[in-house]
Amino acid sequence: MNGEVVKVVEFRIRRYDPNTGKKYIATYKVPIRKGTTILDALNYIKDNLDETLSFRHSCRMGICGSCGVNVNGKPMLACYTQVLDLNADTLTIEPLSNMPVVKDLVVDIQPFFQTVKKIKTVLIKPAEALKKTDGEFIQSPEDLKKYWDLSLCTKCSICYSACPAAIDEKFLGPSALTANYRFIADSRDEGLDERLKPMADNVWLCTSCNSCTLFCPKLVNCSESIVEDRSLLVEMGAIPRTVKDVLESVMKYHNPMGTHQSKRMGWAEGLNVKTFPNVTKAEILYFVCCSTAYDIRNREIARTMASLFDKLGVDYATLGEEEWCCGDHILRMGEKGLFEMLAEHNVSVFQKFKADRIVTLSPHCYNTFKNDKPYKDLALNVQHYTQFLAEAIGKGKIKPSKPFKGRVAYHDPCFLGKRNQIYDEPRQILQSINGLELVEMKRARESSFCCGGGAGRVWTEEAEPEKRPCVDRIKEALELEVDTVAVACPFCVTTLEDAVKVLDVENKIAVKDLLEILKEAL
Amino acid sequence: MEKYVHDIVIVGAGLAGLRAAVAAAEFGEKLDIAVISKLHPIRSHSVCAQGGTAAVMREKDSFDLHAWDTVKGADFLADQDVVEFFVRQAPKEIVKMEHWGCPWSRTPDGKIDQRPFGGHTYPRACFAADMTGFHEMHALYGKAITYDNVRFYDEWFATSLIVEDNSAVGLTAIELKTGEIHVFQAKSVIMATGGHERIYEFTTFSHTTTGDGMAMAYRAGAPLMDMEFVQFHPTGLVPSGVLITEGARGEGGYLINVNGERFLKRYAPEKMELAPRDVISRAEQTEILEGRAFTSPYGPYIALDLRHLGEEKINERLPLIRDVAIKLGGVDPVKEPIPIRPAAHYSMGGIKANIKTETPIRGLYAAGECSCLSVHGANRLGTNSTAECLVFGAVAGEEAAKHATSTSFHEFSQEKVLAEEKRVFDGILGSEGSERVPQLRDEMRRLMNTKVWIFRKGDDLESALKEVRELEKRFKNIKVEDKGRAFNTGFTAALQLDFMLDLAEVTIMCALARTESRGAHSRLDYPKRDDEKWLVHTLAYYTAEGPRLEYVPVTITKWQPTARKY
Repeated sequence: MNGEVVKVVEFRIRRYDPNTGKKYIATYKVPIRKGTTILDALNYIKDNLDETLSFRHSCRMGICGSCGVNVNGKPMLACYTQVLDLNADTLTIEPLSNMPVVKDLVVDIQPFFQTVKKIKTVLIKPAEALKKTDGEFIQSPEDLKKYWDLSLCTKCSICYSACPAAIDEKFLGPSALTANYRFIADSRDEGLDERLKPMADNVWLCTSCNSCTLFCPKLVNCSESIVEDRSLLVEMGAIPRTVKDVLESVMKYHNPMGTHQSKRMGWAEGLNVKTFPNVTKAEILYFVCCSTAYDIRNREIARTMASLFDKLGVDYATLGEEEWCCGDHILRMGEKGLFEMLAEHNVSVFQKFKADRIVTLSPHCYNTFKNDKPYKDLALNVQHYTQFLAEAIGKGKIKPSKPFKGRVAYHDPCFLGKRNQIYDEPRQILQSINGLELVEMKRARESSFCCGGGAGRVWTEEAEPEKRPCVDRIKEALELEVDTVAVACPFCVTTLEDAVKVLDVENKIAVKDLLEILKEAL
Repeated sequence: MEKYVHDIVIVGAGLAGLRAAVAAAEFGEKLDIAVISKLHPIRSHSVCAQGGTAAVMREKDSFDLHAWDTVKGADFLADQDVVEFFVRQAPKEIVKMEHWGCPWSRTPDGKIDQRPFGGHTYPRACFAADMTGFHEMHALYGKAITYDNVRFYDEWFATSLIVEDNSAVGLTAIELKTGEIHVFQAKSVIMATGGHERIYEFTTFSHTTTGDGMAMAYRAGAPLMDMEFVQFHPTGLVPSGVLITEGARGEGGYLINVNGERFLKRYAPEKMELAPRDVISRAEQTEILEGRAFTSPYGPYIALDLRHLGEEKINERLPLIRDVAIKLGGVDPVKEPIPIRPAAHYSMGGIKANIKTETPIRGLYAAGECSCLSVHGANRLGTNSTAECLVFGAVAGEEAAKHATSTSFHEFSQEKVLAEEKRVFDGILGSEGSERVPQLRDEMRRLMNTKVWIFRKGDDLESALKEVRELEKRFKNIKVEDKGRAFNTGFTAALQLDFMLDLAEVTIMCALARTESRGAHSRLDYPKRDDEKWLVHTLAYYTAEGPRLEYVPVTITKWQPTARKY
């Protein structure tokens, strides 16, 4: 009655015995057949190899939400994951994050359910309407479709486990915020005002890193729901001062940095960079980003890129004062109208400028140009600078010649990695540098832990230090004993450097953009 | 050990338990209600219910038609007064669910849509795609947590019911997180712990649905009724047994044998794939036994073919089934048939309760699958179980509330509590024998699969009874490897096996005694229904020597038994 054993996989399971306080990794060899799930494997271990292993499980069909665990750093339902699909001979199984471990793979799920209990998970209607039990409320199939996908959340807490903002218990978390929006989007519900209240002071903590959505076993788009939640708060004007300041700056200056557009090219002083409208045609349109244009700390990144263009003999130009904020943060903060204004401007300038491709410094500009309307409709040929440079290095056009001494951990920016699957190019650049020892973060690639800067949080951060994702991330890097954290996003530079200062470890670790490292090696 | 005092304690937080909690909370805000569940409520097995919930919602349908379908489906063993009440209440529950937020699938004009289901002569299954139980559970849980007078004890494992002078007065439960045992005192106790089909190897059941409440009530003196009637669902996914909804056939799916034949034409020429489950499971099992099934390393199977429904319809109406078939069966139903075979799915039997959900023990109520009222008689129709959970969950909540309002707390001796503490910690956790729980559990499940399956025979059942009693003996000699208290799942597995062994024994004994074939109970040695002798309910009472059986008549109001053809 049993299928053939295809291979034997080693399961390395993180164990915790609450009786003795002992933490350890236990290793088991499990025969895997076609169809064997992670849960089957755990049950095999418990039934045959070690009865003392504890884990939760019930429906074994992906609907009860019991069996979430981290598998090689990614949270997933054990019962809904085939071992053979993971293409691995060794699997590390750990409990979900962000919740205290009770025993082995069992975490305390109450902190998660407390967040769910803070919102009203039942229709809000006038009492009179609810009393009538003779017939249903009418809802068209089209109206049902508006929230159906969001109603599939099993409350497995995988999103909560993967969420960088959830390290602050003030944050309601992806699941609860999505459930809230599921009711807001339900044509039968009449409780909008009541639903906005519990999230008004904390929904801003979400960084739109997309981990929740990426790992959701039911493909619920939590990230997008949270943007919708914020959009309603923005519409109502129910936003904190910090958020208001950012939006007002963008409204006034067309950038979030609170500086006049006439100063936008300040970063390029002495570089002789061509700009629109003096130039309307170039091989490459260099889209600089507000942070690297205005932030004194980050200007060097923009300058380095410009000098590399020069070095490569590339014909490039920028939009000069006509480069407005791309709006990526603004859109994800929920200010759709303001985003549209910014995007319409940039789109109109793009249409006036002839370029083979656009190269962006920031993953955020890259992301919004690729994925958000109206930019998306232009089908722009856009590259993140790491793609551009990896290509140049690959072709031998750039040869880092000076050795770079040091252990470097690469932090995957969310908008580059998780949202656009650009994982390899930044690593290729680092690996091209002599002497540089590239170390992987424990949470890397799809599992990367956000720096805490997305969706405007880079400008609105007010959480206590230990509740900031950037601090968590730097602590992780410190454990690796690296001297440099390399990033490829100006916002990651800002947040992670802030964490280095907060932790007072400036003598131990530095945060550098890839361009800064490359510059040293050239 | 702490003592928790509540007016009403509900054990189990699936559809019936949560519905009872809401009903009790609505009854009076002064009532103090506890919901104890060994799982977090929304992990309950009810979330696995897929196809729909039966209710008369439209003018062309009628209560009498629903009742008749149910009675005929039950092979006339249902109590007809209960069925008549049940069908009248069901539509109200559908609307309540709707008002609380359940995302029912809709007709083009925005009303709750309904699909056909086996044995129902009108399409009366209200559904939320193919995740009906899941959505009902989330709506109900969302409602239940809005009451300040309902306290949830999530992940508390009830171990025994305390009965004094034939009154339920409390229970003992282990808080899994700490592993400590505590005592609950209550005026009313509602059992809503689900069925016991984990006693079988090939089952649609969640790993955790082990019939604990049935066993606790049975040990405390409540009789179990009609336990020989186990429903085998025609479409359990091979190899896991995971449920593939009957809704797949409701939407037009075919069952095909190895010759490419829609074989049901030989068994249920009129209803074909929409005959009741007992009929179809027997047909499949016959095809398997007579060599007309497909073969695989995971045993024989029948093909459930949905390809002709088209991708769009499958995605809209059966999205979970498609996902499950791909993820767990390795087949995409848009492109290939799904491998299935009958799987143990539902217990028609359970704790005997009347139309008010009252059991013979005062203050003890039972609702949902752990109960037997009897709505389903010898065979349940698909979509009647979620409806039953809602209807009688509500009744249980109200009746328990009325009882709690009119009675006072009953003191009970510490003796029983101490004895229970000794039983679970010294007798089970502390047992230093040589038998392993997973081994005994697997032997029991295999035994039930081979000798107490769809077709039964007296000699098989007799030997099964002997074997299960042998397993009970061996259970006394177990060793739980993990001696720690906190979240010790080896320990809970042992507690569950202890319950299941009792239930397996009762199931076998009742099946052995009933020398006829009716509904889901098919005796090869007694192939005919025998209304003269067996139009009766079986009652099984706990004794130290094993179950003692009694029989009580079936309540017939309108419909005399006739030949049952589909």
